[in-house]
Amino acid sequence: MPSSGMDLKRQAEELLGNKLDRVRLVHDTTQFMELERGDVLGLDGRRYLITGVAYEGRFGLDEEPKHWVKRALDFSDGSQKLIKLVFFEEFDLPIGLLKVRCYRSPAKESRILELVRGRPQFMQGITHLDPSGNQVRVLDRVPGQSLDKRLDALRLDHRAWFDGLLRPMLERFLGSLEAIAFLHGQGERHGDIRRDHIFVHNEDQRWVWIDFDYNFDFKQSPFGLDLFGLGNVLCYVVGRGIPTLRQIKQERPQTLDLLDTGDLSPVIPNRVFNLKKLYPYLPEELNRVLMHFAASAPIYYERVEEMIEDLRPAIAKLPQPVREEAP
Amino acid sequence: MILWNRILVGLDESEPSLNALRYLAGVLGGSNTSKVRLLAVYLPPDPDSHPDPGQRADLAAERRLALEARLAQAYHMLVEARLARENLSTDLVEAGGRTVGQVIMDYQAEGGYGTVVVGRRRLSKAEEFLFGSVSSTVVHTATDCCVWVVA
Repeated sequence: MPSSGMDLKRQAEELLGNKLDRVRLVHDTTQFMELERGDVLGLDGRRYLITGVAYEGRFGLDEEPKHWVKRALDFSDGSQKLIKLVFFEEFDLPIGLLKVRCYRSPAKESRILELVRGRPQFMQGITHLDPSGNQVRVLDRVPGQSLDKRLDALRLDHRAWFDGLLRPMLERFLGSLEAIAFLHGQGERHGDIRRDHIFVHNEDQRWVWIDFDYNFDFKQSPFGLDLFGLGNVLCYVVGRGIPTLRQIKQERPQTLDLLDTGDLSPVIPNRVFNLKKLYPYLPEELNRVLMHFAASAPIYYERVEEMIEDLRPAIAKLPQPVREEAP
Repeated sequence: MILWNRILVGLDESEPSLNALRYLAGVLGGSNTSKVRLLAVYLPPDPDSHPDPGQRADLAAERRLALEARLAQAYHMLVEARLARENLSTDLVEAGGRTVGQVIMDYQAEGGYGTVVVGRRRLSKAEEFLFGSVSSTVVHTATDCCVWVVA
């Protein structure tokens, strides 16, 4: 039943628990820059109160507003949502010395949301079509923190990390790999695999993939960029951060002589992937998986399944923590 | 049945693919013992990356035309190298979700080609890692044929 302007304002204020200067019911989201706190999106018979804009979490761009992503509350149950509006973007993403043509695709994200419905390793959401045909994605907020924030907050040296937490962390990462393998099996790519695109769920500490709207041009290797991202996440988890040459030079210059170019990422050649040279207690099997992402690798992974196949037995070689206090 | 003198040549718009063809013309010139199929693989533009149907259609037409032109050029190069026209043929196939390397090797298996010829781009390690390499896929997946990689 349509509500009057005053009713809508009262309902919106009740939902928010705060006064609002004005409330507007909006159906067409094309002009997303104009949508602001207090606007109510009416889509497919559902209503969402916009409470603000989301901010960029990408390294170096923190606190930049993403005007096409709004924070919102669902009128039906008061739950927090992120609403992604249609914003086409095309740009060259610099990766090391290379540039990759990237596109933001709402259609891709909508398709993946359908595909992963009910799968706990992915963010969940639905798509509404507004009157102009824009694919508006309404996403459930994942209660938790991004993996990098969660792990960076831990005060542990590498040996303590290795002995106490690496095994359960990599077991969770295996779940994330299987989730990506599922996507690839459906002919889809994540498109933007980074450690801050994994959220650690507060409830059960599971790792949840977020943000599926990037796509990229590929040539021979359709999953190459996803695999590159997975390698970086693996290195980050195993090394408690990806060691760089600069860092090593500052913190442990004596190990610098042990390294050669074959130990580094072929794509970003200041990142060290041969972690066994830095942490000799790492099992050979685990280091071998990492070395598939190093410049000296004779062959690279082409499929996530290959990585899973190698990683599973490598994890079994890791120490079982006496008492798991997984972050 | 796989026959060594049934030769499949993978072509695209790149210079290395022309180099492979020049090599082939040099080796087979004047011979009438081999049948050569020139194959180009068409990758349709991704609707996610090119959502505008008009732009997508233009790009698709552009890609197809470029590959057809390359096939015609290759055919004439081999005719000029005195290969009999009846031993030469061309085909343009759509990738259908497969990579170029996979298409070439599927085509090889289905057609019983005993020899596969491809060019090799000068890719850096980083490029090969991120984007993959057709010649690398061909070499790593070939099981019952000879592969010529012309660098």
